Amino acid sequence: MAKKENIRNFCIIAHIDHGKSTLADRLLEHCKAVTEREMENQLLDDMELERERGITIKARAVRMDYVAKSGEQYVLNLIDTPGHVDFNYEVSRSLAACEGALLVVDASQGIEAQTLANTYLAIEHDLEVIPVINKIDLPSADPERVKGEIEDIIGIPAEDAPAISAKMGLNIEAVLEYAVENIPAPTGDDSAPLRAIIFDSRYDSYRGVIVYLRVMEGEIRPGMKIKMMASGAEFEVVETGYMLPRGERKTDSLSAGEVGFFTASIKNVTDTQVGDTVTGAENPAAEPLPGYRTVRPMVFSGVYPADGAKYPDLRDALDKLKLNDASLTYEPESSAALGFGFRCGFLGLLHMEVIQERLEREYNLDLITTAPSVIYKVKKTDGEILMITNPLNYPNPSEIEWAEEPFVAASIISPTEYIGNIMELCQERRGEYKDTKYLDQTRVEIHYDLPLNEIIYDFFDALKSKTRGYASLDYELTGYRKSDLVKLDILLNGDPVDALSFIVHSEKAYARARRLAEKLKEHIPRQLFEIPIQATIGSKIIARETVKALRKDVLAKCYGGDITRKKKLLEKQKEGKKRMRNLGSVEVPQDAFMAVLKLDE
Amino acid sequence: MTPLGIYIHIPFCLSKCAYCDFYSRTATKEDYDEYTRALVTHISEAEMRTSDYLVDSIYFGGGTPTAIGERNLIKILSAIYRSFKVSETSEITCEANPNSVTARGLKKLRRAGFNRISFGMQSAHLAELRNLGRTHTFDDVKAAVENARRARFENISLDLMYGLPSQSIGDFLDSLDAAIALSPEHISCYSLKIEPDTPLAERPETLFLPSDDEQADMYLAAVTRLSDEGYTQYEISNFAKDGFSSRHNMKYWTLGEYWGFGPSAHSLVGKKRFSYIRDTSRYISAMKFHDEVIEKIETINTSERCGEYLMLGLRTTDGIVPETVEKKYLTHFDEIEKVLLKYHKTGHAQFDGTKWWLTPEGFLISNMIIGDVLDALEISEHLVRPLNGYVRKDV
Repeated sequence: MAKKENIRNFCIIAHIDHGKSTLADRLLEHCKAVTEREMENQLLDDMELERERGITIKARAVRMDYVAKSGEQYVLNLIDTPGHVDFNYEVSRSLAACEGALLVVDASQGIEAQTLANTYLAIEHDLEVIPVINKIDLPSADPERVKGEIEDIIGIPAEDAPAISAKMGLNIEAVLEYAVENIPAPTGDDSAPLRAIIFDSRYDSYRGVIVYLRVMEGEIRPGMKIKMMASGAEFEVVETGYMLPRGERKTDSLSAGEVGFFTASIKNVTDTQVGDTVTGAENPAAEPLPGYRTVRPMVFSGVYPADGAKYPDLRDALDKLKLNDASLTYEPESSAALGFGFRCGFLGLLHMEVIQERLEREYNLDLITTAPSVIYKVKKTDGEILMITNPLNYPNPSEIEWAEEPFVAASIISPTEYIGNIMELCQERRGEYKDTKYLDQTRVEIHYDLPLNEIIYDFFDALKSKTRGYASLDYELTGYRKSDLVKLDILLNGDPVDALSFIVHSEKAYARARRLAEKLKEHIPRQLFEIPIQATIGSKIIARETVKALRKDVLAKCYGGDITRKKKLLEKQKEGKKRMRNLGSVEVPQDAFMAVLKLDE
Repeated sequence: MTPLGIYIHIPFCLSKCAYCDFYSRTATKEDYDEYTRALVTHISEAEMRTSDYLVDSIYFGGGTPTAIGERNLIKILSAIYRSFKVSETSEITCEANPNSVTARGLKKLRRAGFNRISFGMQSAHLAELRNLGRTHTFDDVKAAVENARRARFENISLDLMYGLPSQSIGDFLDSLDAAIALSPEHISCYSLKIEPDTPLAERPETLFLPSDDEQADMYLAAVTRLSDEGYTQYEISNFAKDGFSSRHNMKYWTLGEYWGFGPSAHSLVGKKRFSYIRDTSRYISAMKFHDEVIEKIETINTSERCGEYLMLGLRTTDGIVPETVEKKYLTHFDEIEKVLLKYHKTGHAQFDGTKWWLTPEGFLISNMIIGDVLDALEISEHLVRPLNGYVRKDV
C-alpha cells in the first residue's frame, strides 16, 4: 500500500488538440507504465470511436509509479474524463475523484474556449490547477506570452509552469516533478466508515461488473460486505486492485486516497451508478458523498435495423451495450414504415450518435433512426394521463385536455461579449430568461428555463458557433409545463409515414414543417413518378414539396467496348438501392429519416 | 467462321480536352513510331489464334488516331491484313479531329482501305468548343467533311455533345442543324458527363450546366429532329441513315466478338472479356520483350452473359427478345417482364409481340430500368431446358 502523502490523483484538461492524449501517453511512458512496444498513440482512448472522433466517451483511470528527484516514490493516478455536455455529470464525478488537474495549453494558440470551460469546471470542484505549456517545438511557440495569458485570463500562477513538447518527449519529467510538488496529497481517515465514489463501471463476462472508484474515507477489501448508498444494493467484494494501461494489478485493499476497482459478482451496471457512494454494509457511513444524481435518459428515438431480418441481431447488440451503459434504455416497438425496432432512451444527442455508431460498427448493423423526442405528458379528456416517448402514441387533438413538455434549467457560462448572441439563441428556442450572474469582469453565468425538446437537436452546436466555442452548457431537468403542442405528420405520395412524425410546439410547426419538407426533397432521389411530400397537422396540410419524376439517368457512352465500367456503375447503383427503404411506392434513403435532425443547417 | 471486330487504340492526343478522363498523352514523332512498332508486334503475334475468325470491322479510336500520322495508321492496318482474314466488305473506321487531318491525309487513308471516318465535331459554337478544350472551329468541320467527300469517303459520322456548360436547347439544336446540313451518314449525340479528375470537374458549380430536365429536353428534341431528317435511332446515342449503323458499335451492344489492341483496350473473344495494361510505356516495353500485357481477364458464364444481353440489348432499338432469354440463356422471362410492364405503363418501354425495347424517354432513364431488369434477373428461375416457345402476354 502506498503512503497516502505520496499519492497524487489528477486529471488532464485541455482544449481540443492541445495535446491532452499525447501528454497522457508520455507520462505513462516516462513512468514505464508501458513498454515502448506497447506504446500505441493515445492509449487511454481505446474505443475505436474515441480515437476517430478525438473525444473521450468513457472515463478511465490508470496508475503509475514515479520516483521523484528527491528519491521519494510516488503513486500517480491519472483519471481521464469524457468531454461533452451529454456527459457533464460523468465528468463532474471523475473530477470529484481528483485533487488536481493538469491544464495543457498550446504554446502558440494560447488559451482557447475549452481551456476556459474546463478550467472553471475543475476550479468548481476545488481542484488544484497546474498549467503545462505544450508544443514548444513549434516555430510559432511563445511560452512566455501564453504564461502571461494564463495568469491574466484565468488568474492562476504560471511563472513556473513546465514548458514541454509532449510530441517530442521534451521536459516530461518537469511535469511530473511539478505535479507531485503542487498537487495536494489526498486526505481521509482510513479508519472511518468506508465512503468511495464510483466514477465508472464496465461489464466483464467472467467477473461481472468492474467498478472504478476513488476511496475518500475508510477502506475496501475482498470479503467485505458493501452497500451502494443510492441504489441500496448490497454485495460481497471479490477482488480489489488498480488499473495499468494494459491490464490491472490486484491488491489486498484500497484505502482512503486510493483510486482503483473492485468486483463483487455484480450482474448489472444499473446497480453501480456513476456518482453513487460505496459504503460498508455492516458499518455504513452516515451520509453519502455529495453530488449524486440519478441518470435518466432524456431523449428517445426509434432504432430500426435497415434489414428487417436483423431485428434479433439488434436486440442482442443492445443487450450487450446495456451491460456497459446504465443510461441506455430500450423497449421493442414497431412502425408501419420501418417494421420492428426499439424505442431507445439516451442522455442526449451525442450519446445517441455514439450508441448508434457503436451498433453499426461493433455489431455490423445498418440502422435507421427516427427523430429524437422527449417524454411528453398528456392528459386525455377521459382523465387518463399518458407519458409519451413515441409520437405515434400521441392522441388526437380532440381527446387531449392538456399537454405538457419537460423543461430544463440551463446554465451557460461564457465571456461577456457573447451575452447578446446567447440570449437571442435562447429566445429563439422558447427559453424563459431567469438571471445573469457576473462571475468576474469577463465572465457571466446566464440562466434560462428552456423546453428540453428545443435543446436536444442542435442547441449545443448552435451555442458553440454563436460563442466561437467559448460557452459551456449544463442543464438539469426541472419538471413539466403546459404547452401548446401539435403532432406533425408527413405524407409521401399521399401515404403517411409514421416514422417521420414528430411532436412540436404549435408556434414552430409551420417553420419546421416547411424545412422538413425541403430537406426530404433534397434527400429523396427522383423516381419514376412525381412524389408529393406533405406535412400535415390533423387533416390540414401546412407544407408541401414535390420530388419531380426522374427524367435523365443514362450512361451515354461505352468507351471502346469497356463493358466492365458500365457493370460497375450498375453495381454502385445497386449498393445505393440497398440503403433505400420502400415505403409504399416510394423509395426513401435511410438518411432521409435523419434529415429531421438537421433542420437548422 | 465467326465475325470479329478489331479495335485499335491510339493513346495520343495533340491537346487534352477538358472533359476527357480517357487515357491519352502527347508525344513526339519517335514515340508514335515506337508505339506503331509495338502495335504491329502485338498484332502479328495474335496471328496463330485467329484462323476461325473473319474480321468484318476495324476501328481506330483514341485518343486521336490521326495524331500518329497516316503512314503509321496504314502500317497498323497492313499488319491486321497480314495476321487476320479480313472480309472484303469490312467497315474500316478512323476517328479524327476536324483539324487533325488534311485533304491529302484523308486520300491516303481512303486508298489504304479506310472507308468510314468519324469526326469529333461536338458543337458548332466556338465558345462551347473552347469551354471543352477543343481546338477546332466549325469551319474546320465543314472543310474536313468536304475533304473526306472528295477523298471518296461514303460513310462519314459526326459526334455531337449536349448538356454543355451554359448551353440552351436552342444552342444545341443549332449545332445539330449545322451537322445535319453537312449530310453525314451517321450522327452520335452524347451527353456531357463530368468525370472526376478532369478539368471540368474542378469547379462544377461555375459551369452553369443545363439541368437534367433541360438535358432530357435536348435529347428528345434531337431524337425527333434526327428522325425527321432520315436518321434512324439504333442505340441510345447513335443515329444513322438506312444501312449506315456502325457495325463496330453494334458489336458492343449485341455481344459480338471484338479484339482491342493497345493499352487499356478491351476485348470480348469467345467467352472471355479481357483488357490490357493502361500504361503506354509499359505496353511498349512489354511488346519489345514479348511479355504479357493482360491486366484483367474474366470468363463470362451463361447467367452473366444473360445479364450482359439484357443490359446491352436495352441500349438498342432492337431491344431484347424474351424467346432468346428463355431459349439461349435458359432463364424464365416472367420476372423481367413484370419490370418491363411497369415501364410500359409509363411509356418508357414497348413490346411488339417479339421484342421489348425502350422509347427515347426510356433510354433517358435506362440506368434505372436496366438496374431493375438486372434485379429481376437475379430472382428469375433458371430453366433446365427451353420452354415451348415464349408465350406472348398482352400488354
